[in-house]
Amino acid sequence: MSLLPRLALRQLRSQLRTTEWRALLLATWIAITLTTLLTLLGDRLERGLLRESANLLGADLVLSSSRPLDNDRLASIATQDVQTTRVVQFPSMISDPASTETPPMLVSVRAADTPYPLRGEIVTQPVQNQALPDKGEAWVEARILEQLELEIGDLLQLGYSQFRISAELISSPDRGSGFRSFSPQLLINRSDLDASGVLAPGSRANFRLLMAGSPEQIAALEAELDPTLADYERLLSLRLDQPLTGNTLGNALAYLKLAALTALLLSALTILLSLRRFSQKQYTRSALLLNLGLNSEQLLRIYLYQLLIAWGALALLGLASAASLDSLVQGWLSTLLPQQLPDATPLAWLSGPALGLVMLILLGLPPILSLSRVPVAHLLRGDTPPQDRRARLLQISCVLLLALTLLLFLRAPIAALILLALLLVGGVLFGYIAQAILTRVAEPLARRLLLGRLLRLRLRQQRRWHRLQSAVIVLLLTLLAVVWISRADLLSEWRAKFPTDTPNYFVINIQPWQRSDLDSFMQANAIDSALYPMIRGRLNQLNGKPIRPQLTPDQLGDNTLRRELNLSWALNKPEHNELLNGSWWSSTPEQPQISVEQDMMEDLGLKLGDRLGFDIGGQQVDAEITSIRGVEWTSFRPNFYVIFSPGALESYPSTWITSFRLEGERKRLATEMLQQFPSLTLVDIDQLLSQLATWLKRLGDSSAMVLGLTLVCGLILMAVTLLQALEQRRFEAALMQTLGASGEQTRRLDLLEFLLLGLVCGLLAGLSAELTLAGLHLALLDVDPKLHPWLWVTLPALSSAFFVLTGFLIRRPLQLDQCYRLLRSQS
Amino acid sequence: MDQSTLSPTMIEAQALSKHFDTEAGRVDLFTGIDLVVTRGESLAVIGRSGAGKSTLLSLLAGLDTPSSGSVSIDGHRIETLDDRQRADLRARKISFIFQSFHLLPELTALDNVRLPLEIRGAENPKHDARQWLDEVGLGERTDHYPSQLSGGEQQRVAIARAFATRPSLLFADEPTGNLDEETGRTIIDQLFRLNAQQGTTLILITHDSELAMRCQRRLRLHNGALTEV
Repeated sequence: MSLLPRLALRQLRSQLRTTEWRALLLATWIAITLTTLLTLLGDRLERGLLRESANLLGADLVLSSSRPLDNDRLASIATQDVQTTRVVQFPSMISDPASTETPPMLVSVRAADTPYPLRGEIVTQPVQNQALPDKGEAWVEARILEQLELEIGDLLQLGYSQFRISAELISSPDRGSGFRSFSPQLLINRSDLDASGVLAPGSRANFRLLMAGSPEQIAALEAELDPTLADYERLLSLRLDQPLTGNTLGNALAYLKLAALTALLLSALTILLSLRRFSQKQYTRSALLLNLGLNSEQLLRIYLYQLLIAWGALALLGLASAASLDSLVQGWLSTLLPQQLPDATPLAWLSGPALGLVMLILLGLPPILSLSRVPVAHLLRGDTPPQDRRARLLQISCVLLLALTLLLFLRAPIAALILLALLLVGGVLFGYIAQAILTRVAEPLARRLLLGRLLRLRLRQQRRWHRLQSAVIVLLLTLLAVVWISRADLLSEWRAKFPTDTPNYFVINIQPWQRSDLDSFMQANAIDSALYPMIRGRLNQLNGKPIRPQLTPDQLGDNTLRRELNLSWALNKPEHNELLNGSWWSSTPEQPQISVEQDMMEDLGLKLGDRLGFDIGGQQVDAEITSIRGVEWTSFRPNFYVIFSPGALESYPSTWITSFRLEGERKRLATEMLQQFPSLTLVDIDQLLSQLATWLKRLGDSSAMVLGLTLVCGLILMAVTLLQALEQRRFEAALMQTLGASGEQTRRLDLLEFLLLGLVCGLLAGLSAELTLAGLHLALLDVDPKLHPWLWVTLPALSSAFFVLTGFLIRRPLQLDQCYRLLRSQS
Repeated sequence: MDQSTLSPTMIEAQALSKHFDTEAGRVDLFTGIDLVVTRGESLAVIGRSGAGKSTLLSLLAGLDTPSSGSVSIDGHRIETLDDRQRADLRARKISFIFQSFHLLPELTALDNVRLPLEIRGAENPKHDARQWLDEVGLGERTDHYPSQLSGGEQQRVAIARAFATRPSLLFADEPTGNLDEETGRTIIDQLFRLNAQQGTTLILITHDSELAMRCQRRLRLHNGALTEV
């Protein structure tokens, strides 16, 4: 080995014993581990679930629509020389026909034509010869077998039909997107669909046309279809589809990455402080090496080699730890994910080490550059050369570059940027507030206690470190408390806020001819519910003219314009709506009238007397706004933006919707209802919420792990800051003892300082956690915030214990005879 | 009864020895040193680097324990005092001036001077500290931090800190070692002026024989023995 790397290796070896290098190594290791883990997870989820491109889509191009596919369009595509097949997917309840005990289960039904799929393959257990179940058969995922306690060969009930389960679905492409893709899936042949009666006109379903062909054909087809898409249609292709954004898993991953941002920032800060300390200690050595004949460039290379050697070892270590954590997370997720995740791409393994390298180089370059340029005269004068403007500029640009890299890595720049800004502003603010409180607290102490007077000076002496330490600890404790509480609290509080009579079942897709029978069933069983018709229509006119040109750009983005609305009609005002303005029709008026929801009125700037026009299945319907309603959207009852007076919409095809509450024993009525009306779609809200709860819990577990690593980062950073101040503290203690303080006095002073610092930080963290939680309650859940008194005890106790323990673990007692020697040694 | 009001002796060292045990064996720094310093006297200890001057200082100041022999400061036998009593003695009677000034960097000049006053629980530490900074000519710079002061100014703050507690015994360890000649001279003038004014007993450690000449008595530490010069 040539001289420079050898020198670097030796230097590194001897510095491994110093605390700044240990902290630096630990922080870099955690950063590499976290980055690798998150990239691995992201990569595998993307590839495995969402973007295994052709395989996942089941085709090269998919036309997805919330209405049955247009026949003309189908005919036009059929003339092109591409392979096509049709799929319908919808939510439905299935049950075990042999048991009245097991409650029905909400699943996602996929009914497909052969050939299916066009790309990728379906894996079943036992292995099947064909790609689709035969008529009368169904393939189901393991979760269905488990929950309904069924086995291969058993029958299941879907609508009016029974299906024999011929295989377990292990993995399959074309799972659909969004919540559909996460519900347990059932695959049947499309030719069985009509007989089951579950899908009637107007039913909620996703209709897909799968297409496959040569890249040129697909590109041509895509170009042709794209401009003709209706607003209820969407094209999914390898190029266009970015399914990771805007779905549950994508959000979960983004959330985890944001949680990791804190850990990465703490690591970066630790590395920055450690390197700064390292370079301060190296000035003399560098000056000596330069004096002995090395040039600046050689010196720079020695330090660079040193960083690179450390990075190489950490990269290997980080990869190993990321791999083991990855398998742990996969274990948690495996029960939730519909299929086995594929292995990560080799490139994904590189991200962690790459980010680690970028961190080390960007944070390391400024200090080692100034080390390589230290004047030899430093040996004589012994002073630290002042930082020139260029060096400071370099340091700032490096830190900015690093921030940019982190944002790019997180791939959610806006959210990350907001979080980054919040953390920075919050940190600075907490630092200063903590310091101000400490100073105020010290004043009365100083008037009463001799130690208080010393404390006042100590607080001044340590103020910079106190600011940094309190900022980090307050933010960490806030994060900890918020995650801890929201994990347990949020969902249960959200559920608890609903009145006890809140419906827990929705029935949708009720056909008009089923209405009276269903009504009788409800009455016979004393189920309190009201049926509402539902017709889809698009708002397109205001006062007889197209609405869009009459609105501001802001209003154009309103939800009510972006999609078709569910319209309804009723003679009487729904009981759970409040009439805010205008008057409700008492009978069928001559001209159609409408009642509009309050927010929609405000958002679109509408007023009573305005006329709104709707496109309903290609026909125009106009009506005058005669009343404004207040609607509680989270009431779990059918709610509508627009309700028509009777007589206006009856001629259009509609389905009906209702909701009701069943408890305890009466829940079996849901099963009975489904047996009597097999084609209805019954949505069990409790089931949905418990699915959501499982997700939140898993997410909580995964984020707890990231949070755990964040905490470790925070603790290392705290240890580094305490260590950095340690020598200064020892010097201060030596001086104080020489000036007349006793060893016991300095020990008590330390204890008082750490206790107070911990208390103040804990209280501030309690306050900031309560505020954050209150914000979450109000903004996310619309629940009145409540206080968590135990936080105000636990957090100060935790943080005081932390400061006192760390402080006293790191503190080495100073004997009197060492004091003077220590002071002399610094002469 | 307070012995200090009776005795003219400020420091009395008897048969003072200090040795260190190293891997290579025992190293005797000095053996059998006897010394009496009278109240108000100024005494210089000179000697080469490594002769043990600073160790002798820390023994005489009660900061270190001798291998054998005894030290009395103002009638108090150091070896009979516990940590707290020694601290109390230092707080009430002893001050130090160091070669490297040893000011706390995050405290202003005023707070640095205030520190020993706070340690001894003085009545009006801020006022006293300000007065002493005025005394050394730094009344306008009370809010400056050490990094904003020159070497000479820092040493003047250290002198103010040393005199602020009105000590009866002052140890100065190479007080001009880090200063240029002219500044050093000004500092020493100030030190001796205040010393005379306050009637403080001064023990000065130096290898500058010119500086030593300004003291009433000079002792040389050489080969473990202390001899009058």
